[in-house]
Amino acid sequence: MSSKSLSFSGNSGCGGDGSGVRPWPSSTSVSASGKRIQKEMMEFNADPPSDCSAGPKGNLYHWISTIIGPPGSPYEGGIFFQDIIFPCDYPFKPPKVVFKTRIYHCNVGSDGNVSLDILSRSWSPALTITNVLLAVKSMFTSPDPYNSPVPNIARLYLTDKAKHDQIAAEFTRRFAR
Amino acid sequence: MFKSFNVTARVFERQVVTPRPSAAVNLFRQFYENLVPSCTIYDVDCPDNFFRKFTDDGKYLICFSRNQQDLIVYRPAWLSFSCKGEDCDSHGLPQKAKRFDSFFVQLYSVSLATSSELICKEFFLYLESQGFGLFATSTAQTNDVSAIEGAINGVPSIERITFHLLRLEDGVILDEKVFYNDFVNLVHSMGVFLYEDLLCIMSLRYQAIHILQIRESGNLVNIRMIGPFCHEDDELFLNSHVQVAEGKTFLSGVKQRLLSYIFRKHWSEEADQIVRIQYLKRKFYFHFQDYIDLIMWKVSRSTDQHTSFFAVYNMETTEIITFYQNSTEELYDLFEQLKHLYSGILNCILFVFLNVDIPFVKKMATSLPYTCQSQSPSPYFDLSLFRYDEKLISATDRLRHSTEHPIKFISRRQPHILKFKIKPDYNMSSP
Repeated sequence: MSSKSLSFSGNSGCGGDGSGVRPWPSSTSVSASGKRIQKEMMEFNADPPSDCSAGPKGNLYHWISTIIGPPGSPYEGGIFFQDIIFPCDYPFKPPKVVFKTRIYHCNVGSDGNVSLDILSRSWSPALTITNVLLAVKSMFTSPDPYNSPVPNIARLYLTDKAKHDQIAAEFTRRFAR
Repeated sequence: MFKSFNVTARVFERQVVTPRPSAAVNLFRQFYENLVPSCTIYDVDCPDNFFRKFTDDGKYLICFSRNQQDLIVYRPAWLSFSCKGEDCDSHGLPQKAKRFDSFFVQLYSVSLATSSELICKEFFLYLESQGFGLFATSTAQTNDVSAIEGAINGVPSIERITFHLLRLEDGVILDEKVFYNDFVNLVHSMGVFLYEDLLCIMSLRYQAIHILQIRESGNLVNIRMIGPFCHEDDELFLNSHVQVAEGKTFLSGVKQRLLSYIFRKHWSEEADQIVRIQYLKRKFYFHFQDYIDLIMWKVSRSTDQHTSFFAVYNMETTEIITFYQNSTEELYDLFEQLKHLYSGILNCILFVFLNVDIPFVKKMATSLPYTCQSQSPSPYFDLSLFRYDEKLISATDRLRHSTEHPIKFISRRQPHILKFKIKPDYNMSSP
């Protein structure tokens, strides 16, 4: 595979899908958001949470994260990939987390978008990549059915958890291994 | 053991010698060192057909009409004649040797293509055990196609591709399978792979492998489709439980299996979490897009290509067993192991992935060699028996420009004598 260099320049690739045209690289100015993400990356690398990992996909503003389905949960045995897209005005706006792997979960929309409190209303610029990943990870063991883009999954979770877990486990077996 | 060139000695040897297990074929083929072509007949009055090939068992000669609409099948009849008198060698061949129908009897001619379709001249697969032939017809290919959901960009499209299954004995069309607005690489049967009675058809446009079984009854039965999903009922299961969103947000079934295989491999290579994160960052996340951009190119059982990625996939467990990058030899060893582990490798198929842009696909389409049933079984092309100029002729089923010069076949064994010549051009040939 060809080698590429990470883009640390300006506002390159932020917000969008990360595959946009890279601007002229500047050696003097690194934008505030870029600096911040770089700093968070160093912190994350130095003390990564267990059973999950993440890294930039050739562009500092577009990361891929991987969460290993926690044992004992219906997601056990699955490997779940997510896109993490940072906006240009990060950390003042939260990053967007989108599942690339199909999952049966009341906090993941049919388009893969994650809706979690800390990624919307409760977002604070003090939060970091590590916090985001930990929140996504804990979502696997404790879903939040009151903040759900897929009401039928949330309803099943609240009314018949055994059935919900059975479907979620079947999803994991079929789509996440 | 002493090996003689003497025909009588060899016939005797065939009677008394038991060949080593699975070496019988080689021993029988050696006999062809004694039986070589001795005469070329020129200016034979031939029907104006496109001559495709002999079936591997020699029973049929497959031809297509010049307008690529009809299939014409001949049974080789082989001319024989006898000669009375002392000096037979000086007699010329009888006049009937100049006639095509002295050698071949036409069995039938069937129309395969409708007016907008043409028979794909380069596609033919033979199911010897059943005596079935598989042919393809297609409409013209369009290169500028608008993006359609589920289809990858840049791959050309063919409005209608039909595979026809025929009983070669009498030309009866038994079954057909049609693909619409799809692209299957039919050149040299590249996009189709036949293993015993299992037929794999690679849809390049929709990145899906269709696996069909050719039943004894002559039916083409869909077994499963691998690509967007891995199990046959995945889509049904999905639709019955969630609202399916439009667009290509999620990884396809095969891509998820591939990426999770690569991830697990890298994850288990390092035990320390901090080292592991660095390792994954470099080895996995940085190349994530490249893996996503890989396209399934063909299905195979053999490993004769370069500049590609290979994955061995178990259809039953829907697992990627292994994934290699440009490492043909390693993969070859693995296949040898697999053959021993399983009684057959029916459940395992090999995906060839290419890391490419589309112009490259177009180039590769013409240059990638060797596919299913592309090698002639003729003993005269056996390089352990005869030496010849592989630039001029070879066992590979390929159209070639005829050459002016005679093609010499020289014995591999001592004393390396010229056994016979093929003289394509009458005027250039010397006695």
